[in-house]
Amino acid sequence: METLMAILTIFTQPQLLLLVGIGTFAGIYIGAIPGLSVTMAVSILISFTFSWDVLPAISLMVGIYMGGVYGGSRTAILLNIPGAPSAIATAMDGYPMAKKGEAGQAIGVTTVMSFFGGLIGILVLALAAPFVSEFALTFQPRDYMLLAVLGILLVGSLSSGSLVKGIFAGAFGIAIGAVGRDPLTFAERFTFDLRLMEGGISFIAVMIGMFGVSEALQQLQNVNMKAVRQKIDKIVPSFGTIKKFLPLSLQTSSIGVIIGALPGTGGDIAALMAYDHAKRVTKNPEVPFGEGAMEGLVAPETANNAAVGGAFIPMMTLGIPGDAVTAIMIGALFIHGLNPGPMLMIDQPDMFWFIVGALMTANVFMLIFGLTGIKIFTKIVEMPRSIIIPLILLLSIVGAYAVNNSITDVYWMLGFGVFGYFMRHYGYPLGPVILGVILSRLLDDNWRRAIISEREDLGRFFEGIFTSPLSLVLFISVILIFVSQTPLWTSMKKRLFRKATS
Amino acid sequence: MDPDFRGDSDHHDGTSDATPGGYPKQRRPGELGFAIFLTVASLYLLYDAYGISGFTALSGAGSIPMATTFVMAVTALIVGLRTARLNKVAGETIANDILPVMVILFIGFLIVFGLLLKPLGFVLTAALFLTVSIKVLAHKGWGYTLAVSLGSLVVIWIIFRVVFTVLLPAGILPEAEFIQFFRNLFSGGAS
Amino acid sequence: MSRKLIGALVALGLSATVATAQSYPTKEIQGIIQWGAGGSTDTVMRSVTPHAEEALGGTVVMQNMTGAVGAIALNYVVDADPDGYTVLMGAENPMLYKVMGLGDEDYSAFTPINILARGTAMLVANNDAPFDDYAGMLAYIAENPGELKLGATGPGGLPSVITAMMNTVEGELDVISVPYDGDGPALTALQGGAIDVMPAVLGAAIEGIRAGNMKPILVFDTQASAALPDVQIATDANAGYATYLPWGPFFGVFAKNGTPEDVIEALTAAYAAGAEHPDFVALMDGRGFTMMNISGDEANAFLSKWQQGTAWLLDDAGLTKASPEEFGIARP
Repeated sequence: METLMAILTIFTQPQLLLLVGIGTFAGIYIGAIPGLSVTMAVSILISFTFSWDVLPAISLMVGIYMGGVYGGSRTAILLNIPGAPSAIATAMDGYPMAKKGEAGQAIGVTTVMSFFGGLIGILVLALAAPFVSEFALTFQPRDYMLLAVLGILLVGSLSSGSLVKGIFAGAFGIAIGAVGRDPLTFAERFTFDLRLMEGGISFIAVMIGMFGVSEALQQLQNVNMKAVRQKIDKIVPSFGTIKKFLPLSLQTSSIGVIIGALPGTGGDIAALMAYDHAKRVTKNPEVPFGEGAMEGLVAPETANNAAVGGAFIPMMTLGIPGDAVTAIMIGALFIHGLNPGPMLMIDQPDMFWFIVGALMTANVFMLIFGLTGIKIFTKIVEMPRSIIIPLILLLSIVGAYAVNNSITDVYWMLGFGVFGYFMRHYGYPLGPVILGVILSRLLDDNWRRAIISEREDLGRFFEGIFTSPLSLVLFISVILIFVSQTPLWTSMKKRLFRKATS
Repeated sequence: MDPDFRGDSDHHDGTSDATPGGYPKQRRPGELGFAIFLTVASLYLLYDAYGISGFTALSGAGSIPMATTFVMAVTALIVGLRTARLNKVAGETIANDILPVMVILFIGFLIVFGLLLKPLGFVLTAALFLTVSIKVLAHKGWGYTLAVSLGSLVVIWIIFRVVFTVLLPAGILPEAEFIQFFRNLFSGGAS
Repeated sequence: MSRKLIGALVALGLSATVATAQSYPTKEIQGIIQWGAGGSTDTVMRSVTPHAEEALGGTVVMQNMTGAVGAIALNYVVDADPDGYTVLMGAENPMLYKVMGLGDEDYSAFTPINILARGTAMLVANNDAPFDDYAGMLAYIAENPGELKLGATGPGGLPSVITAMMNTVEGELDVISVPYDGDGPALTALQGGAIDVMPAVLGAAIEGIRAGNMKPILVFDTQASAALPDVQIATDANAGYATYLPWGPFFGVFAKNGTPEDVIEALTAAYAAGAEHPDFVALMDGRGFTMMNISGDEANAFLSKWQQGTAWLLDDAGLTKASPEEFGIARP
């Protein structure tokens, strides 16, 4: 009963409800503008809400977080610039839909599915937080490494053109992620003794450059083409559509919660893994993946919103942040005089249930705001290209700069924009580059931790894998996915199949 | 710009991220050169990665960089060899299909933007960039061009500089004093 | 509207000419935070600055500028004009840049506005570790050479200094040093059993200890911690630690050398007032930090003593790229 009261606190105080609403609304736009991140917004809010009580401050932050994770999909669908890293996978099928005039429909499905994913994440947080956090803690460095390898194998499904070019792009991404001073040993890597290279290359700069700038340059070639008229009559997906995607969205939401709950991995990896999962399990999509398949929207959007609930699990149960945003929220709780940590659940269970309630409310607000503003939003794509291209370029520059207040990042962004432009023309997929950058640190750091822990002994390393059930499961998945993607297996399957039929 | 625009129906230009461009059985102008460039660059990076920590330990800071640059070099070489065996696409030239004048012009604009950003400041550079590029693309009158570019710049500036307090390079404009003036105006009115 | 704008522009021109006559600050101040959002430095700075702003009567816009162990932020402030409108909000790391080969500048290029607080280091262990105290840990290491996994955060970080201290005082300890990119991730790994022992800041470990998720081994201080009164202190375990303690990471606000005297005074007064605010003091106590709130010569003396002790300790442990002697850092 007390628990229920704590969840419902938010409804008893209209001021809190209003703040969650404002937060969610602002979050959608913050998420949608590349360069403005939820992390940034929440850390500014710390100073802004400094003199407030803790509940209003948290309400606003929760709203922004939920709205922001969803908002990234907007620009990904409409302009091919993922507003946030977790929306990269959304751009793959969302943007082709907008090109066909189905942006409204794409946003509609995305919104409903984000709501669904968010709901699953919150339910897991509310019902199973202690179990999930205990499970997340059992991940050893070698497990994180295997997870990263699993992620890198997604290159296969992200590169629909030539696989060799995809592998090149993926390896290139990992190398980009290694540039700068190595955070573990401070050794300089690929810096060419230049001071400006020491800080490394901002991942956001690579992302905005490769997706946004190269797309804008691409469109310069057909400036005078009439913009595609967007159909906006069927925004809210029918019940049948939702029912059809229910099994898939349940699976991808689970992926989202687990990846979100792991400290060190977040919505971006979750979304990409979910996209890959969808591609694997969907045998006959109505539209091929990469050309506007609904499944390609459902999977990443359920996963990244489910990851929000997931990220709160270690934060609320152990005081360990699940991602960058929850890390700042922990700081915020400190400033407001609470001690986030394993004792919080015991000392102040109301706080936990209040956050669950606030997340739930933010999720509903997200659905409402998401489904109402679509018409105005889709007008963006119908603007004349002569205006929208310069604006995309300018936003890309400001966005790359804003992440770390660094002009160097702007240069990187421009460089990768031009490079990405050539890659597109010559059939190199861009998705794997981003995937490589995201996974670079996860792979590199954890490989080294794992092998150092085993005193540089590969024998002990593999012994460790085979004696731990979790590592073994991950290892077998890596092998299975790898084998199923290599040409050898495909030809073998063909031969076996022929034998069976003959 | 390009009269025989091929549209989005065939994906030779890489219309979305999941469907990169190129032709499966033919090579585009410059494609071989690009592949050779990638191979040479990858080999150089491999050499550079070797310099990080050599073969001293499996856990060295250079192990993963060496492995990835090795993969890059091998795949780039394979791509290069495969590309070399293909025939050129008939009727495509670098100047028409890969790097039209407009693209080169805009790459130039972006480089100039990068160079001017620090000395001139964000507001002036962005105003210049938006005005010139909209003028070039839209072929409309100065009134229209200035209205659109300055209008959208003000919106972007307010969002980033005022609301999110991103410290964009101020350059020669006394931006901070300007904001402080309005802040004083407001606080003065309140008190 | 346009008349207002013209008014603004005229006022702007006037204010630019009379700016020197007006009292500091006439515009917003950039506070460059060396570390990322959500970290200790970030939390400390974002909680003290609003109080300081009140005393100052101006606005401080805080920006996180990360990269190269904070050197990017430091260089940014060094390159800015010394007018007091760009200040650095940093931690102890820059004092080791020179010897670690991370940069050519340290806090000697700056005037300390306020050194706010100092952290205390401690050792924590995984609950399943086969020992419960410091002596037990040393015995375990002696019996099982090369088995104990000790967390680290890269050369120059707090764990590397503590490990160097232990190696100097107790003789070389044969352990595996597993690197993490911060004490947060390392403490998470400790709870999951990926590492056995972690040298960490007391404030970062305290909640985990209270909940019984990890066990305290030793507090690196000369007197018992108020937060963990029952845990053994280093000088009791081995008197040799007295040479190096008290030692700990610190947080401070710095202005570039050459900043006008009156500006330094205004900032110093503001941050001193901010650091005395009861809310801030309570926050620092809660996180296990020791309040310092020092400035001027006192702060300079603290900085040079800290640098001498730590740089030579690391140099003796063979962890430095260049000898402290090269930079005129005297042996303590």
